[in-house]
Amino acid sequence: MTDPTIKRIETLLRKPGVIFGAGAAILLLVTALLALAFPLYKPLLSAQFPFSMIVLAVMLALILSATAVCILAERKIAGFTQDRYGPNRVGFWGLLQPLADGLKFLLKEDIIPRHVDKPLFLLAPALALAASLLGFAIIPWAGQVRWPWMPPDAPPLSTQVANLNVGFLYLLAVGSLSVYGVVLAGYASNNKYAFYGGMRAAAQIISYELPLGLGLLVVLLVSGTLQLDQIVQQQAATGVWNIFLHPVAFFLVLVSALAEANRAPFDLPEAEQELVGGYHTEYSAMKFAMFFLGEYVHMITSSALMVALFFGGWHVWGLPGLENVTWWAMLVKLVAYLTKVALFIALFMLVRWTLPRFRFDQLMRVAWQSLVPIGVALLAATAVLTYLGWQHNVWASLAANLLLLVVLLRSAARSKRPVTARQDDLPEVDVRPTA
Amino acid sequence: MRDDDIIVLKEPELTAAERLYLPQILDGLKTTLRHMFDLQRRRAVVHQYPEQKREDTGELRTANYHGVHRLNKDPDGRVACVACFMCSTACPAHCIHIEAGESPWPDREKYPVKFDIDELRCIYCGMCEEACPVDAIELTPLYELVSCTREELILDKEKLLQVYEETKAVKPRKNPPVTDYGLTGRQSLDVAQPNVERKV
Amino acid sequence: MPKIIIDGQTVECRSGIPVLQAALEAGLAVPHYCYHPGLSVVASCRLCLMEMKMRDPKTGQMDWAPKLFPSCQTPVRDGLEVRFCSDPVRDNQQHVMEYYLLNHPLDCPVCDKAGECYLQDYTEASGPATSRMVEDKTKNPKKDIGPHTLLYQDRCVLCSRCVRFCDEITGSGELAVVGRGSRCEIDVLPGQPLQNPLQGNVVDLCPVGALLDKDFLFKQRVWLLRSARSVSPADSRGQTIWIDYNEAGIHRIRPRYNEKVNEWWITDEARFGWKHVHRRDRLRQPRIRQGTALQPARWEELPALLRTWFSQPSPTVPNPIAAILSPMLTCEEAWLLAKFARSLAPQATLVLGHVPTVGQDQTYPKGFTIKAEKCPNRRGVETILQHLGGPTASFQEFLGQAVEGRFRAAYVTGGYPNAWVMDPIATALAKIPFLVVHDLFPSALDAVAAVQIPGSAWAEREGTFMNCDGLLQPFERALPPLEGVKADGQFFSELLGQPGLFRARTVRETMAAELPQFSEVFIPRDLPKHAH
Ligand code: SF4
Ligand code: SF4
Ligand code: SF4
Ligand code: FES
Repeated sequence: MTDPTIKRIETLLRKPGVIFGAGAAILLLVTALLALAFPLYKPLLSAQFPFSMIVLAVMLALILSATAVCILAERKIAGFTQDRYGPNRVGFWGLLQPLADGLKFLLKEDIIPRHVDKPLFLLAPALALAASLLGFAIIPWAGQVRWPWMPPDAPPLSTQVANLNVGFLYLLAVGSLSVYGVVLAGYASNNKYAFYGGMRAAAQIISYELPLGLGLLVVLLVSGTLQLDQIVQQQAATGVWNIFLHPVAFFLVLVSALAEANRAPFDLPEAEQELVGGYHTEYSAMKFAMFFLGEYVHMITSSALMVALFFGGWHVWGLPGLENVTWWAMLVKLVAYLTKVALFIALFMLVRWTLPRFRFDQLMRVAWQSLVPIGVALLAATAVLTYLGWQHNVWASLAANLLLLVVLLRSAARSKRPVTARQDDLPEVDVRPTA
Repeated sequence: MRDDDIIVLKEPELTAAERLYLPQILDGLKTTLRHMFDLQRRRAVVHQYPEQKREDTGELRTANYHGVHRLNKDPDGRVACVACFMCSTACPAHCIHIEAGESPWPDREKYPVKFDIDELRCIYCGMCEEACPVDAIELTPLYELVSCTREELILDKEKLLQVYEETKAVKPRKNPPVTDYGLTGRQSLDVAQPNVERKV
Repeated sequence: MPKIIIDGQTVECRSGIPVLQAALEAGLAVPHYCYHPGLSVVASCRLCLMEMKMRDPKTGQMDWAPKLFPSCQTPVRDGLEVRFCSDPVRDNQQHVMEYYLLNHPLDCPVCDKAGECYLQDYTEASGPATSRMVEDKTKNPKKDIGPHTLLYQDRCVLCSRCVRFCDEITGSGELAVVGRGSRCEIDVLPGQPLQNPLQGNVVDLCPVGALLDKDFLFKQRVWLLRSARSVSPADSRGQTIWIDYNEAGIHRIRPRYNEKVNEWWITDEARFGWKHVHRRDRLRQPRIRQGTALQPARWEELPALLRTWFSQPSPTVPNPIAAILSPMLTCEEAWLLAKFARSLAPQATLVLGHVPTVGQDQTYPKGFTIKAEKCPNRRGVETILQHLGGPTASFQEFLGQAVEGRFRAAYVTGGYPNAWVMDPIATALAKIPFLVVHDLFPSALDAVAAVQIPGSAWAEREGTFMNCDGLLQPFERALPPLEGVKADGQFFSELLGQPGLFRARTVRETMAAELPQFSEVFIPRDLPKHAH
């Protein structure tokens, strides 16, 4: 049944030499082209605005292709944790799988059911993807750069797309916009499962916004600024990443980031065992792929944010010349930053294939009964430290975090009701017949 | 139901660590990580289909594999099915469609004029095989069931008999027919063993 | 009302019946083959044996008698004490069952009776699971004993119900027991096949799969069928029936016990009188005449069109509107249609449609009657016409007036299973300019109808028929109307502008407010499985 030509192409693509050779060739070609065209875009590189635009374009391309890689990585990791190989048929080691997936999504029949609210139905996936992409504007990828041809006294250029002074406040705002896409998808689908999914997403994201905000506030108190590049620079200057000051705050942000990205164990809006496909039940082809992309982009954004806030951004100890603003330092910083982001993504994926999904009441209880009180207490403690001027003192901050942890442990050990258990504290209903 | 039939199960008490949830998460991560890097186990468990097939390694259990159906033939090469509808009655997926008619053979009453199985609807539970009084329908070890259209996978009587021809070598018809469709009225003796032990 | 004690329970029963009947009526599942309440008692199957208390001649005490008695042959008398749930009774049942199974073939997979077979059920309940028979079973070929019936002799348990039916109910005596001992057989005499108008009942009577209906042979397994309580439209007696159907349509018709009308039997006309429901040439779409041809139309167009035509007075003739109420309509439908005609034209002529008759009423020795009138609801339509008053006409009078051109518009309902439009009818109706024909099949009227409306068969409708004795019997719908067809009642209620779904019961209740005859219906009780 198989066409011999197809068979031959298939075997060819399975050879590592072919794949890597082709990859190297493409890379070479692009580099050569860029080098050739250098005089054309050189002036653009020297001013902040056009440079920002170029960063935007490059990063957008990078991130959208990164999502493809992410999907492959996710499937590989899923395979590995389950003693499988993951995709390994398309190309060497399954490397061309994202290509095949993308092609499939493009060519699939795009179904718009008759009973949907059409404008909203079309808008929702776009909104979900766009909202997640917006966050990238303020990620400080590689600090600042001054090109060799620029005068030495010229102000260095920022590699941020937009150096907003409201900083991560903006991220909070647009990050939670993505739920809009999900809720709209649920509503527009006119399907009860989709609607449940949308409702769940709304409730969940509202709940987890709080611990996220509280965790970020702690960082704000420590650093005294909202601007991400300054936060990163502070951490680079002292060499003490915020994670060492406030591990509990990091934990809050990590958990909330998982929940905001609708990743397992918080993927209730699309719980396929209960809701068919949740909010994307009615979506197919590229529109479905956009939700998919949105989820991965959201994951990348959250990772990048956490790297900037808690893991020193591009900073790596012992790497010389990081305080430089030369272009090669910029490249090193970029690589450092991206590596950290990649590690985070790997963690997200590992968590997904490790933890089972929460039940909805557990999800709510974790947010409101655990994370929010912890966040409030931590915030109060940090405020006191800041008032005392000790906010950069590692030992004082760690002590505060430790104290919190001990209190938590104690209350956990004493509480009679298990966190993960059924809600068994409902009032008893008297069923005796009334005389 | 009596009261002592009810067993009340109490949820086990959780330890402090379990209630905190975090140590359990780390434990889980440890497990997944261990599996991630366990190359040996992966190699041992995974079959690289289609290069490696279980038929070739002898690991496919032909006797009871739940694959594509077949309709067996009787010793005279006629369809063994007597169109009793037992299989379609037992089928939880309602994927067997039979039309019965008077058989063209003098020694048999009833036979299936049409016999269609929708292999796409089938859940391969094997209920049909269990239900058949003459062991006419059986699941075979054929698992490569592909086609370009749905219609092709609604197997009709001819195709099902063809499957029998293809698979009778690897999986012979399970039992000899226990009835002879009323030809002589005689049952095979092993079925009609006199029940000497029976208490009256 | 004698009281007897069965298994320690006091049971009150009708006098003069056998204990078996009393036990069955009390809900006990006592195995039996030869006993049938409609036939004479022979007590030959020995399955219904029971223990009975008698006075011990030695001690003078009441005690369980050492021998078993056939419960079908023991009439009830006050104070009688019997029991079925005792070891001797059960042992008897088990041994008799084993005996019946000696020569019985393992045919259940190919036997049409499977699923409702007494032998299967009793074997499951009390019979042995295996056979001790090692000799060859006697094997008898199947016999073609009549145009509709097959006899599988080796499945027969020789209960002789069929023989007694032919002797006692039809009096024709085609069937007989021939031979002796293990060579005993049921048979017909050469050249005298089983061929009387009630012969189908022997198939229902047969407790096993020995007598089978050629019509139903191999069509379906009985457990795949659902049953609807219906009333046969075959004649004016209103025989109650079960319609056995499934998604694929009707598969057979069985009698439904009815103490007031047909008891346990139905005529072959009723039994096979469903074939027209599945005829290929049924009308499936309303059509309106445009030019010379009938063109497909939508149902929604019809009410307005009909209302315009039926409400216009004519300048020349006093009452130019007529509605012909077929005796195939249910009472509810006739009522709605009459109301519709009168609401638009208060002087509309209401006509009882063509009443088909075949031959003479035929009465059998025990009183079972086959009516000559082959329509179910003449009496019902007549009652309604009488009540409504105003201008009415018989069908013949109407035809006469129609030929004279007195009618400008008429609504003709048909619904007959057989062709009914003879030449005189067609020529007379051709004179009516606006003729609405509501019928099941194409007919000569297609050439003259202005509007043609597809009707639904009786199995696709619900309602009540009033039989020739004035008994009002409701029936259920078995099938949905053909695709594209509206149930008659639904269409009539839409004509009247009534919102929502047509429900026969609701209509009947409004009718009962004006017409007391319709306030009570007769529904015979359902008998439990194997209760006769
Ligand atoms: S295997 Fe199960 S689902 Fe498939 S045909 Fe047989 S009974 Fe039906
Ligand atoms: S159960 Fe067996 S004999 Fe009966 S219809 Fe199915 S395949 Fe045929
Ligand atoms: S008569 Fe009853 S027991 Fe005998 S083969 Fe038919 S179904 Fe089975
Ligand atoms: S002997 Fe009583 S029913 Fe047959």
